[in-house]
Amino acid sequence: MQTTVEPPRAAAEAEVTAAGWPRYWPLLLLGAAVVPGLLLFSVGRWMDSPAVQAWRTVCLAITTQALPFLLLGTALSGAINAFVPARVFTKVLPKRAAFAVPVAGMAGVVLPGCECASVPVANSLIGRGVTPAAAFAFLLSAPAINPVVLTATAVAFPASPVMVLARLLASLATAVVMGWLWLWLGREEWLRPVARHTGHRPGHSRFTEFRTGFQHDFLHAGGFLVVGAMAAATFNVAVPRSVLDTFAGSPWLSVLFLAALAIILAVCSEADAFVASSLTGFSPTARLAFMVVGPMVDLKLIALQAGTFGRAFAVRFSAATTVVAVLSSALIGAVLL
Amino acid sequence: MRRPLQVTLLVLSGLGLLHASLFTDLCLRYVKPSMRPMLVVSGFLLILLGIAEAWSRSRQTPGVDDHHTGQGHIGENHIDQHHTELPEEHTGHNHSKVPRVAWLLFLPALSLLFYAPPALGAYTASRAATKAVPVQDAFDPLPATSPLPITLTDFTTRVQQDRKRAIKGRTVQLTGFVTPDKGSTYWDLTRIMISCCAADAQSIKVRVYGIPALAANTWVTITGTWHASGTLGTSSARAALNGVTVEKVAKPVNAYQDALPFATSR
Repeated sequence: MQTTVEPPRAAAEAEVTAAGWPRYWPLLLLGAAVVPGLLLFSVGRWMDSPAVQAWRTVCLAITTQALPFLLLGTALSGAINAFVPARVFTKVLPKRAAFAVPVAGMAGVVLPGCECASVPVANSLIGRGVTPAAAFAFLLSAPAINPVVLTATAVAFPASPVMVLARLLASLATAVVMGWLWLWLGREEWLRPVARHTGHRPGHSRFTEFRTGFQHDFLHAGGFLVVGAMAAATFNVAVPRSVLDTFAGSPWLSVLFLAALAIILAVCSEADAFVASSLTGFSPTARLAFMVVGPMVDLKLIALQAGTFGRAFAVRFSAATTVVAVLSSALIGAVLL
Repeated sequence: MRRPLQVTLLVLSGLGLLHASLFTDLCLRYVKPSMRPMLVVSGFLLILLGIAEAWSRSRQTPGVDDHHTGQGHIGENHIDQHHTELPEEHTGHNHSKVPRVAWLLFLPALSLLFYAPPALGAYTASRAATKAVPVQDAFDPLPATSPLPITLTDFTTRVQQDRKRAIKGRTVQLTGFVTPDKGSTYWDLTRIMISCCAADAQSIKVRVYGIPALAANTWVTITGTWHASGTLGTSSARAALNGVTVEKVAKPVNAYQDALPFATSR
């Protein structure tokens, strides 16, 4: 029977085509332009229902909002890779990893962006020989304690300036504890090896290295950003906010609940203070937890980290960070707020 | 993902961002106006990256001049083989291995270009958290104009916090969109506000009595007086209106803010 003979041959042919892809790229391009359009048209009715429209709007909003920051982060990561010699980091950071962690945590002050920018930067730091523990402390603290975010927090909580201090301390504490925790328990094999960030090599154009690194990191992280935005948009649209009120009463539950909310809403760290200030039914400590957890763990960040460092890392790291962040905000909230 | 596709993806993403931020007002459906310059810069940057990638591809043809790339497939395969062999092409080779997840970036790019979803509306407002109105101690006297143009936030604070009850008996004029309330005689005049992007949308609503609801998401300017429920000037008062007139208006360009009605009413 011919039909039984055909499929393997077709499969083999498909493999050959897969190897020689560029041959068909105009076709693929056409497909990329036409197929989604056709699909969209055929499911148009469904797509235009209010819930799906809201989902698409939120998804696109998260992506659009994050893209400039992602570009900034990947550009910075490409620049670190191509222009900054590895000895700079060994000079600036203390030799002992245990001391390097808090220094790196404080250094988070200088990256004026939201959390999407910090993942590629941390990755390139590791590639340049910075001890992972210090890079992770930077990764966690940078989106939470930079001037832009702290200013936004001050604006969002005009009545309680101590919230800014509480946020700074709780975020920094979480970042440093996580760095030390990595030194204590972390294993290299959870991390996907970073072969790309080899730094500048003699005989190469630094600019080309910068450009290709930038481009690669952006495309890579951008894809995961879309995954995260989709997940966050799903929760955003599916969970009605009226659920919030049922948890506002109990002090402990409300802390945990707002921490969970921060994870699934994936609000950008530059905006989460405004969201937190609007969650009026909740205690200040719960809102602090929302602002400490949000920039460190959320769905789009988990997706970004899984893409950059590997899934084994992202799962463990995010879980541990959530616990540490909740504890530290509960502790600092109890003292300061 | 192969390099020509990367070029396409970069350029399409850049065009999408530029389309949304520079050529149209689409981006205002998703983010705040203050993001606009960053989106424009990002758009140009992405297009530049795409062009640089395409240009370096055409230059990297070893021993062949630029025309030959036009010949296409065979030349390209040839180049790619060289990439793996030549040490100095190592970075270039690595970067052609962008993971498949990057394909997903086509979705926002194409969506922005061809199928942009609308701004959030009644569906979200009926489910989103209600924005808390700021606490205000002192209130200036209200201007004497009638009807008095006022924002939904101001109206709510006046109703719930102004002990002098200046709003009492005044005819006010507000603009927002319609959020119908199923099975009831009233509906909610609504504004959605964002602090960063549409993911953190919060709504403010003023309940309207005495006017039948129009279709959801219709932008209207209504005039009316406070609908007595609760004690005016305390938090027990409900921000509600007895509607008198209703007029359809165009959707404002920047819809995610609580603004005064346009001065168009006669």
